Amino acid sequence: MESLIANLQAQLPSGHRIVTISFSLKHSFSLEAGLVQEWIRTNRLLVLVENSTESALLIYIVSKNVADEFSLERTIPLDTEFKCEIDTASANIVTTDIFLKLSRKKVHLLFEMLPGFKANKFVDEVVKASEVANKKRAPPNFSWLEVYNPQLVWESTTGSDSEQPTSAATELQPSSQNCHDAIPAHLNHKSDSELSSPDVTAHRSSIATGGATPIAARESVVRYQMALRETAYTDLRQISIFLGTYNVNGQPPTSGLADWLSVDKDPPDIYAVGFQELDLSKEAFLFNETPREEEWLRAVIRGLHPKGKYRKVKLVRLVGMMLIVFIQEKHWAYVRGVASEFVGTGLMGKMGNKGGVAIRLDLHNSSLCFVNSHLAAHTEEVERRNQDYLDICNRLVFSTTFPSKAIKDHDQVFWIGDLNYRLSGDLDLLRVKDLLDQSNYQALLQYDQFRAQHAARKIFVGYQEGPILFRPSYKYDPGTDNWDTSEKNRAPAWCDRCLWKGDNVQFKEYRSHPGLRMSDHKPVSCLLECGVKIIDTVRYRRIYEEVMKKLDKLENEFLPQVSVDSTEINFGNVAFNEGATKILTVANTGQVPVQYEFIKKHRDSKYCKPWLACEPYTGFLMPGDNSYITLEILVDKRTAWSLNSGLDELYDILVLHLDGGKDIFITVSGNYQKSCFGCSIEALIQMHQPIAQVAPETVCQLEKAAYPSIDPGNDSDSKQPVLAVPKELWFLLDELYRRGMDTPGLFEQPGLSTEIAAIRKTLDESLPDTLPGSVHSVAESLLIFLETLKEPIIPFSLTQKALDGCGAFPSCKTVYSCLPLSHQHVFKHIISFLKEVLLHSSKNGLDAKTLVALFGSALIRLPPPNYPLGPSISLSLNQPHLDRKRCMFIHHFLVNDLDD
Amino acid sequence: MSAGPYNYSYIFKYIIIGDMGVGKSCLLHQFTEKKFMADCPHTIGVEFGTRIIEVAGQKIKLQIWDTAGQERFRAVTRSYYRGAAGALLVYDITRRSTYNHLSSWLSDARNLTNPNTVIFLIGNKSDLEAQRDVTYEEAKQFADENELLFIEASAKTGDNVEDAFLETAKKIYQNIQDGSLDLNAAESGVQHKPLQPGRNQPQNQPNPTKEGCAC
Repeated sequence: MESLIANLQAQLPSGHRIVTISFSLKHSFSLEAGLVQEWIRTNRLLVLVENSTESALLIYIVSKNVADEFSLERTIPLDTEFKCEIDTASANIVTTDIFLKLSRKKVHLLFEMLPGFKANKFVDEVVKASEVANKKRAPPNFSWLEVYNPQLVWESTTGSDSEQPTSAATELQPSSQNCHDAIPAHLNHKSDSELSSPDVTAHRSSIATGGATPIAARESVVRYQMALRETAYTDLRQISIFLGTYNVNGQPPTSGLADWLSVDKDPPDIYAVGFQELDLSKEAFLFNETPREEEWLRAVIRGLHPKGKYRKVKLVRLVGMMLIVFIQEKHWAYVRGVASEFVGTGLMGKMGNKGGVAIRLDLHNSSLCFVNSHLAAHTEEVERRNQDYLDICNRLVFSTTFPSKAIKDHDQVFWIGDLNYRLSGDLDLLRVKDLLDQSNYQALLQYDQFRAQHAARKIFVGYQEGPILFRPSYKYDPGTDNWDTSEKNRAPAWCDRCLWKGDNVQFKEYRSHPGLRMSDHKPVSCLLECGVKIIDTVRYRRIYEEVMKKLDKLENEFLPQVSVDSTEINFGNVAFNEGATKILTVANTGQVPVQYEFIKKHRDSKYCKPWLACEPYTGFLMPGDNSYITLEILVDKRTAWSLNSGLDELYDILVLHLDGGKDIFITVSGNYQKSCFGCSIEALIQMHQPIAQVAPETVCQLEKAAYPSIDPGNDSDSKQPVLAVPKELWFLLDELYRRGMDTPGLFEQPGLSTEIAAIRKTLDESLPDTLPGSVHSVAESLLIFLETLKEPIIPFSLTQKALDGCGAFPSCKTVYSCLPLSHQHVFKHIISFLKEVLLHSSKNGLDAKTLVALFGSALIRLPPPNYPLGPSISLSLNQPHLDRKRCMFIHHFLVNDLDD
Repeated sequence: MSAGPYNYSYIFKYIIIGDMGVGKSCLLHQFTEKKFMADCPHTIGVEFGTRIIEVAGQKIKLQIWDTAGQERFRAVTRSYYRGAAGALLVYDITRRSTYNHLSSWLSDARNLTNPNTVIFLIGNKSDLEAQRDVTYEEAKQFADENELLFIEASAKTGDNVEDAFLETAKKIYQNIQDGSLDLNAAESGVQHKPLQPGRNQPQNQPNPTKEGCAC
């Protein structure tokens, strides 16, 4: 992480310092021709960078392949428009991920981060930087960001856009576009080829590389998506809002207010009436108690438009500042979330002689906020007024709503009050009055401090005001329409103003009401037509379902997906003891990492048949990656007989299971070449032809007949003459008699596997006069032949008896006499062969000890684990013990004569 | 609206069974994606789909297992019946053989699922009226005799597809409501998700059904 920061820092212009960074997943819809196509999550690197006193977020696209390869997607200046919040609505439920919502004007971005110290630190820093931006007194100047983004012109930070609504049209593209719009020139020098063509398809495979549950906190995602598509299911309903502000100079309401509040033909839907200097007494200042509140409230109620039936939404007062909001009765049912707050900015930045009071409410699906403020007085205190405004913006937070909302968090904000901005001081008073007599307001407004500060974007950024076509509201001799004649002789000024911010607000009227003469101010009012968002439940429902459907679709797309290059694997002809391999390619074609595994089928003990093995049988695959699984087939002595007998076949269905997803069936097959190896003596002695020339069904029949317990129905003892010993055994022994007796190292030197395979093939396919290969290969073939017999020469049922009786020849001979006839023949043949071999021991170098060791294990074998043993039989022997007994048993027959 | 992290209160496991080529995967695809897959390859294995539906104001997540229909896979696909709350038994109204095999599929379904599993018979390809090989009436009679829910549907046009999946869910939900499906029983095929941890739900959750054939 540290080196990454250093690396990034090195690429930034000097003076731009990286504060902190965080990896995250960006949530967005990709847009196609304006239609939402799908919801996706892509990897991003968020970098918080600062330049002197300003901060900005750089959002980098993270390359899928190269870990430290980034391309800049967009930059977001942290100014007063910037908002950053944790999606708190999902904070009370069990979700591990942190959802960070960043927004600035019409740009809304949602990022998902893994929880932990790093994420917390990052969010902390961003929030801190954004607070700094909000408190900053100097106008924002984010021209330093242009170096990142030469193509895009930042929203003018110096020009006057205050009179032009919806300057946001020149803003960045909406978040929903999957944009690669800003490739910084200075980053390009590093590698043109890598950066110049952002991998548009990358997101499909790079999504969710980290998360096992891509649809975490689906609820908050739904809410977020619904918010994004709000315009699609809301209609605008026009309501009229009357804003009135009146500095009453501590006077009681001695006359009616109808000339101020109900001068329009139609009754407004909402009244927001604000007062300043309601009570100038010490009691009001110190204890915030005043009888005036009630008096003025009554006066206002009496003055409301007679054609409307109103209900008081809320009243809030701080010392002399009071704000009352009324709404027509018919709208009351759609009002939610009413709250009020106040902020004092007077003495010590706290007292309530100056500051602001505010009321917020949700009407249908729109959030409205009304602020009434009284800012610092006196012509020269422009900066104090500015600071009061910023203090109110920063400190006024409605904490009773959830999540808590600041003024800027509302769709529409209406700000009224005695803002106290004057005409700049260098204007001659006589000249002012002269211009006023000519009603030349435009000339005078050039000196209006408010307009100057607003144009310099020091205050009320984004707010609008109607055209001022009325006389200044201050300062008059009370009870008259005459300009102040007191000794202070104050210059007239438009102290009392009405402003608004937000979409869908139409200006109607802006005027003062000189007929009210109680105060040294005249009341001012502004009439607006506002579009309030009303949810169309039918469309809401439809879009909600669309979002749900989209998420369903997405969820299905996020299921693990792999493709295999083949679901049918055929090994073709498979011979005994000759392994073969095939490669199965598994490709992760989905969007999430996949854990795959061959799983056991119902009731099976292993995922595949014993003649098959898969390597690896389980694995982990990243999206876009391949895995190669080696399937190895090998028929050896363990499995040959079951294939010869038809109890098994070279056919298996493997279940390739994806964790949390589908299963794929892989069919594995092969054509087993039946071999005399792995048969039973009983079957072999009935085959007069080479096994390859015997019909496979006949082989099966013979084998099954040899073991009636396996297939009791198949007891057709064909009365064909049987061979004394399997002809294959005879060929092997004959070959050794002829070629091997005098060969040094007989049975001690290993054969060659290719020659052994050739010998087996010869025996399987012909009745040979001679066998191929060396003597050693023939000798080893003999041992393999004996070892692979379905039952050893000493059958499993007699194994215990043979081992128990190995101490003396008579007991061994008893075992011999118990052997089935065919086994007796084979045993006898082998014993005489061994005796012959020993006669040549001077040449071949063999001794009895070696020979009995070799043949002992071939002739006497322990039953396989699942062999049904009788209750009295227990074969618990350790290996050396077992070997010794086997040797002793065979040895008796070599030194004694069977026919005795 | 539920505030839980799951966004649904139940999970129902479904299996789709029936002969090869009757349109099982197309039904699933039509249900989850609202699209017809024209060149749907044979399912070699078991496909998996999910969708959240609403029954009686309750959000229910369906986990649907779409099995391979080929006869050679029959032994393997049997592993997947276990723990299904709903079984969609599909035949093709234009191929009588697929209808004739229903009793064999049905006996598998009866033997391998729990007694409360809702079995829904779907006569697919109802858009191919001209090639009809199985009348509605006889299939209806078969369904009645075996106490199956029945509908003719078309994965191509989408006709009745939604209904088949939803009706099955409704029936399962009804079984839960009237107590005939015991959620605590092993392999009920239903998981109940708490709305919010520690609220209006007992602590001991029914055993989640194990997915698939991770035997």
